[in-house]
Amino acid sequence: MSQESRLSLTGVVKSYGAVKAIRHADFEVQAGQIHALVGENGAGKSTLIKIISGATMPDAGSVTYDGVPVTIASTNDAIALGIATVYQEPQLFSELTVAENVFMGREMVTRGRVDWAAQNEKVVSLLEALGLPAKLSTAVVGNLSVATQQQVSIAKALAGKCGVLILDEPSAILTDAEIDVLFEIIRRLAADGVAIIYISHRLDEIVKIADQVTVMRDGSTIGTHPIQDMSVRRIAELMVGEALSDHAGPRTVPQGEPVLELKSLARAGAFHDVSLQLRSGEILGLYGLVGSGVAEIAACIYGLDKASAGDIVIEGRAVAPKSPREAAEAGIALLPANRKTEGMFSFQSIAFNVSIGHLQRFSWGKAFVDRRRERSTVRDLMKRLAVRASDENQNVGDLSGGNAQKVMLARQLVERPKLLLLAEPTQGVDIGAKEEIHRIITDLADNGTAVLVVTSDLQEALRIADRLLVVRTGSIAAEFGPDAKQVDVLAAAAGDREGTATA
Amino acid sequence: MTTSTDPHADPTATPLKTRGRVLPSPVTPAEIALVAVIVVLWIALAFATPAFLSAGSIVPLLVEMAPVALIGIGMTFIIITGGIDVSVGGAIMVCSVITGKLMRDHGLPVLGCLAVALGTGAVLGLVNGALIAYGRVHAIIITFGTANLFLFIGLQIFASQPISGMPNTLAWFGRGVDGRTLAIPHSFAITVVLAAIAWWYLRHTPGGRHFFGVGGDPVAARLAGIRVQRRILIAYVITGVLVGLASIFTLAKGTSNLDQSVGSGQELAVIAAVVIGGTSIMGGRGSVLGTVLGALLVQTVKSGVTQLGWPSQLSDLFVGIFIVVAVGTDLVRRRARRDP
Amino acid sequence: MSVETPAPAAEKSATRSPVDRIVEAVLTQRIVLLGVLIVVVVAWLSYMSANGYLSGDYDFDYMSATLIDAVPLALLAFAELVVIVSGRGGIDLSVGAMVSLVGMIFGFAYGKWGWPLLAAVLLAVVAGALLGAINGFLVARIGFPALIATLATYYAYKSIALVINDQKPINSPQIQDLYTLTGSVSVPIIGDYVPDVPLGVFTFLLPALVVLWLALGRGTFGRRLYGVGTNDVAARWAGVDVPGTRMRAYVTSGVLSGLVAVYITAEFASARPDSGTAGNGLALPAITIAVLGGVAITGGVGRLAGVLLATLLIVWLNAGIILYFEGNTGTQFQLLALGVVLILAALLNGLTTRRFRGGD
Repeated sequence: MSQESRLSLTGVVKSYGAVKAIRHADFEVQAGQIHALVGENGAGKSTLIKIISGATMPDAGSVTYDGVPVTIASTNDAIALGIATVYQEPQLFSELTVAENVFMGREMVTRGRVDWAAQNEKVVSLLEALGLPAKLSTAVVGNLSVATQQQVSIAKALAGKCGVLILDEPSAILTDAEIDVLFEIIRRLAADGVAIIYISHRLDEIVKIADQVTVMRDGSTIGTHPIQDMSVRRIAELMVGEALSDHAGPRTVPQGEPVLELKSLARAGAFHDVSLQLRSGEILGLYGLVGSGVAEIAACIYGLDKASAGDIVIEGRAVAPKSPREAAEAGIALLPANRKTEGMFSFQSIAFNVSIGHLQRFSWGKAFVDRRRERSTVRDLMKRLAVRASDENQNVGDLSGGNAQKVMLARQLVERPKLLLLAEPTQGVDIGAKEEIHRIITDLADNGTAVLVVTSDLQEALRIADRLLVVRTGSIAAEFGPDAKQVDVLAAAAGDREGTATA
Repeated sequence: MTTSTDPHADPTATPLKTRGRVLPSPVTPAEIALVAVIVVLWIALAFATPAFLSAGSIVPLLVEMAPVALIGIGMTFIIITGGIDVSVGGAIMVCSVITGKLMRDHGLPVLGCLAVALGTGAVLGLVNGALIAYGRVHAIIITFGTANLFLFIGLQIFASQPISGMPNTLAWFGRGVDGRTLAIPHSFAITVVLAAIAWWYLRHTPGGRHFFGVGGDPVAARLAGIRVQRRILIAYVITGVLVGLASIFTLAKGTSNLDQSVGSGQELAVIAAVVIGGTSIMGGRGSVLGTVLGALLVQTVKSGVTQLGWPSQLSDLFVGIFIVVAVGTDLVRRRARRDP
Repeated sequence: MSVETPAPAAEKSATRSPVDRIVEAVLTQRIVLLGVLIVVVVAWLSYMSANGYLSGDYDFDYMSATLIDAVPLALLAFAELVVIVSGRGGIDLSVGAMVSLVGMIFGFAYGKWGWPLLAAVLLAVVAGALLGAINGFLVARIGFPALIATLATYYAYKSIALVINDQKPINSPQIQDLYTLTGSVSVPIIGDYVPDVPLGVFTFLLPALVVLWLALGRGTFGRRLYGVGTNDVAARWAGVDVPGTRMRAYVTSGVLSGLVAVYITAEFASARPDSGTAGNGLALPAITIAVLGGVAITGGVGRLAGVLLATLLIVWLNAGIILYFEGNTGTQFQLLALGVVLILAALLNGLTTRRFRGGD
């Protein structure tokens, strides 16, 4: 029986400037189908979703909805068609109640007045369908946990006409019990005829919930398969493809002293029982998917969050940094994951961006900036890291992603740190700069720095790490050596419990 | 297995008492506290000066607070949307002087005065609203600018002369015997009625709810289909109209004179009333009831200080302290909620 | 961890005509625009004066004499610069009230208690610092929105200033003698070729300007301030003490207000309890000049040179207006000028951000 697809994209191509985000994408989802979309970071998933949800338009390709060709030129167009998106960041009004949030902009009105009773009934039924307590409808959104807010976002998406529901990494912040509830809802929606696009890195969940899975790799959709034919491992193989990352070559790791030791470090709600040891000259990779807790571990070491249990030991001394400043005093440096929000001072110069972390060092008597020393150090670092810019006074905001990232890295290298934490070191960076940054990292390690790389880029993790720890749902799930296979690592991180881990 | 905060046990969710009650309680704890403070102050003042509770002192108190509370209604709308308006003082001057002159020189009747005052106020509000909604500039900057503009216009119309000899046309709105019915000043009653309407509008109409959306997150509001710019424009126009009405109250004060100091500093008094009343300056949350209570508190302090024979300027000090306490307790409470 | 699409290559148009580039420079470089405006205004007013439209001579002597008003305006505008640059809605509505209150304190010390001048000035500075620290505490440590905190302190300081001497100014002989400090002096070395300049420019404005320039342009404090104002999350991650930096900004505002208090007391030969709060107060003009001078209300952007030029523009424009209109009308048109200029400057900011920087 041929069924008209609810949503169909053919021949989609999208570039951002010189970068081809999508080379070729075909995607089709039927009514009542739960269709998973998987792919590594940079594979093109998020761009495809942006096109479907109207946040951007493709350079080429066609879209049909229920068989009718449509143009989705804006998010309003998408919503009008019945395509609802639930993002990871809930877009809710934090001062208003759940009921108000659901109906903001489409209030149910009787005789000019908002019909609170009718709205409440609808919201309560939506909440109950999601397994949430009815009284939540009068709760103020800002007081709710992030997980609950996400569930409210789903309820909100369902309140209107909904033919296609896109869920972007919904399970990243949910507990197992909450995930079960979510799956119940999804199945019920599918039975009602809603087409569901489920984006996730958690392959074990996808195997449980999806009917079909489409894999993207390097900007193209490389195949759609019914889930019965797939296993976690097979999906991982497709995601990773034939290309094996060329490892940077085995490094003779100098047997230095342990610089960092984590002893059963825990932070309530994020991670628990994390223990590891890192020696000087060693590059340890921490690989985990979104929501695995891996970013929180780095934040804890750097003093941005407090640990609820366990110890952080730096060179034999237990430390508990309460702020990045204290961490820096202990010899810890951190390259932030989101340079735009957490790292860059975008309309300031390169020199400013580098020296801001070390003003004491570049000063006369702590009060005045020693511009000469600043200039020479910055130029030095710029040369070492091959930063392509006119000079140290150029605005960081004008630089390409790769060069801006190098400037961020330069900031961490001003005072030789004992321990360098790198969070997503090559996110948003082109291939050439990526390799350069990797080389810089290995050089640093060769010179004695202990390096901890926290990343969700699998290729990167395998390329530069001497050892790789996989973090899953807040604890260390597996450890791999330098000869690990991508597929194994991805499987371990995505929940393949039968995966083979090599120490 | 990681655990997270159990969403099923949200202690701050207001329980569903009746089927129709889906909004948070109409009176917030902050407002209840405000009422308590006002009551305590009144009792204390009654003990300190028995004359405080007489009609002779309560009535002027209500008459004085009416314009601030009235404009405060509009300012509440504005601040809920995340904006602000510091040009209100200048706008009062313009509306007052135009109406006053027409009243004196052309014998404008009551309805005519109302039309002129409200109309002028609406135009001034429209200027602010248009520049802010469509000009993509911060409200505080624009209204600093229009404050000066309005002052200029007002002073020009004054032509360096205070106005004297205004007829008693507006006595019905004033503080004299004609301005009251059963000892309740009309201006105060009008203010309360309008406040009630505004309160109902904000709580029970889609248009009213949309103001909260705009202030909470303008991007999300636009995505939800709300016409953000229109809401902003309306907030400023409403305020302009209310400024016009407040000018009528000011003109009706009982003296036949009007000088250039009219309206001076009123914007700050209004903002203080709104902030003390619990409306958040960040937008997205607020209440007209709180504003009226805030205006009442501020006026109580002023009257109390005068009644006690203290230097009148001390009232400003107390207003400042109240602002700090009101906003401070709110801040502390929110922080406690966030990281218990 | 969010997935970032690779950043598009920075697009720069290859060739643009010289006219285009000049227009862009004038519109986006505030200092250039202000320079141009000053020249235009002064030229136009000189022309009017030469042709008899003005009731007085608009010449360099006059322009120099009017600098007496530029001193307090510039200092308070610098105060707003520092506070607004610190970001997160930073602003200081209380500067006028601080001027009034510190003015009274100075008046008591120097005029009533017989303190030596230097000690009294020092007291003024310390008092201003303390008042500013209260602002800083509320904003930086407790987390008050700056608008609210400085609104509250505006009320508080204003009333204390009026109450501590029963609303009466302090006019003792010592205070009155201070007037001599505000006379004009001839500039050293080039005095014969250049008009006399009010002493306050040398004793207040220039030292303050130099100190601020050193602190903001060459000092570590300046780096931290602009860092915090540009991106306080990144500043925290980089190890900068964000609350401490903001606290210092508000203390600086208080110190500058204290200096203005001394100056104004000398200028009027009287410590008046409403010196900073009469009419619409001094905060509004100060903020206007700061915004005109290129300070972005969102923080992280703003230069001393811009604010200084904005002060000169406003002062010289006002000086011309006074000559053109008679009496009160003149002051009224000054208000108009200030308001219109502010709105146009802000609209220009918004426009150029969109057109030349690719929007926000």
